[in-house]
Amino acid sequence: MATPDPHAPAAGETHATTEAAHGGGGGLPQFQFEHWAGQIAWLLILFVIGYLMMSRVFIPRLRKVLDEREGTIAGALAQARQVQEEANAQAAKAQADLAEARGKAQRLAAEARAKANAEAQARQAAEDEKLAGKLAEAETRIRASRDAAMTHVQTIASDTASAIVEKLTGAAPSQADLNAALTAAKGA
Amino acid sequence: MADPLHQFQIQKIVDLPDVTLPVLGTVDLAFTNSHFVMTLAFVIVMGFMAMVTGAAKVVPGRLQSVGETLFGMVDNLTTSIIGHDGRKYAPFVFTLFMLILAMNFLGLVNIPGVVHLFTATSQLAVTATFAVLTIGLVLIVGFGKHGLGFFKLFVPSGVPWPLLPVIILIEFISFLLRPVTLMLRLFGNMMGGHVALKVFAGFVATAAAGAVGYLGLLIGPLAFGMVTALTALEFLVAFLQAFVFAVLTTIYLNDVVNLGHGH
Repeated sequence: MATPDPHAPAAGETHATTEAAHGGGGGLPQFQFEHWAGQIAWLLILFVIGYLMMSRVFIPRLRKVLDEREGTIAGALAQARQVQEEANAQAAKAQADLAEARGKAQRLAAEARAKANAEAQARQAAEDEKLAGKLAEAETRIRASRDAAMTHVQTIASDTASAIVEKLTGAAPSQADLNAALTAAKGA
Repeated sequence: MADPLHQFQIQKIVDLPDVTLPVLGTVDLAFTNSHFVMTLAFVIVMGFMAMVTGAAKVVPGRLQSVGETLFGMVDNLTTSIIGHDGRKYAPFVFTLFMLILAMNFLGLVNIPGVVHLFTATSQLAVTATFAVLTIGLVLIVGFGKHGLGFFKLFVPSGVPWPLLPVIILIEFISFLLRPVTLMLRLFGNMMGGHVALKVFAGFVATAAAGAVGYLGLLIGPLAFGMVTALTALEFLVAFLQAFVFAVLTTIYLNDVVNLGHGH
């Protein structure tokens, strides 16, 4: 047995293969350690590539979009807030304008009313004056015509009295008697 | 009844020549079903992100909304837990989250007779890799930022000095257990769910085959309802476990990023 048996390596190989084939017979397949190295190496390779892709490509892209969205939303909110402030300012201004306009209108109205009142009063005063003048004139005229009428009445009375006396007595009374009688009658 | 563990068996799709590495010894290189779903998950995640960000608009479409919601969730997580520095770690956490999420969901793809995808996250090798990646980053950030001050992580402030030795021991052990719990939580949830699904589906098959006689009329519908409910639950778990992994990663990162602030 000095020469090495040529079948020995072959026998060893056969033994190893059978052992691998029957490895799952007893315990869990997960404890067949001959399968570990291949899985671990492959998973490590996949993980490293995956990590590099994630950290270099995918996540920066995702973050960019997320940041962009955040920026867009923040911008839109800021703009909306600004617009609202502007609107508020405009509303306040409009209110102030309105108040001012109302004040002005009220002042104008008051002025117009005062002016109209003054004019009306002045016109009424002028009218009153004119009327008073006309009244006075009319009164004067009436008094003159009454006086004239009164004079005529005296003449008529004197004539009538003279005619009555003449009819009664047959003799015309003197003018002096007539005048005295008329004055006495008037006095009575 | 079919072996409920058979679904976790690694199967070679393309066998590649073994290589012998100095430390690890002989490594069986092959493109297996696990490799296939990992690659599929990777391609889906990358394709999804490319579609989401390719024509990203300020006013998002439906797909973009989904992508933004997922990323926004992780981004909020990192910034709310870590603070402003959290933005730097969002890509790492997001990559982790998306890959785990895709692998979890792919594991639920089962069209009878057409395709039944392998669940990569039910493999300890895969969850261990994710856990080691997380803890590796925690260590790198911890030592990179604080140097030897990293060890202050094990010394909470405000602890009476007689208690310190015990506390330091507990903190140290809990730190060492972090990758283990990360690894086992995801693995256990995925595997447990799939085993339960398989077992109840097996009951349905047994009942339908008439192996239990008239009892099958009772067992069949019950088990079928169970499978339906479990499938819905598994979708929730698939999302939740990916999210939990992301949350814990963020919390562990926060411990070293804000070392001495939060303690």
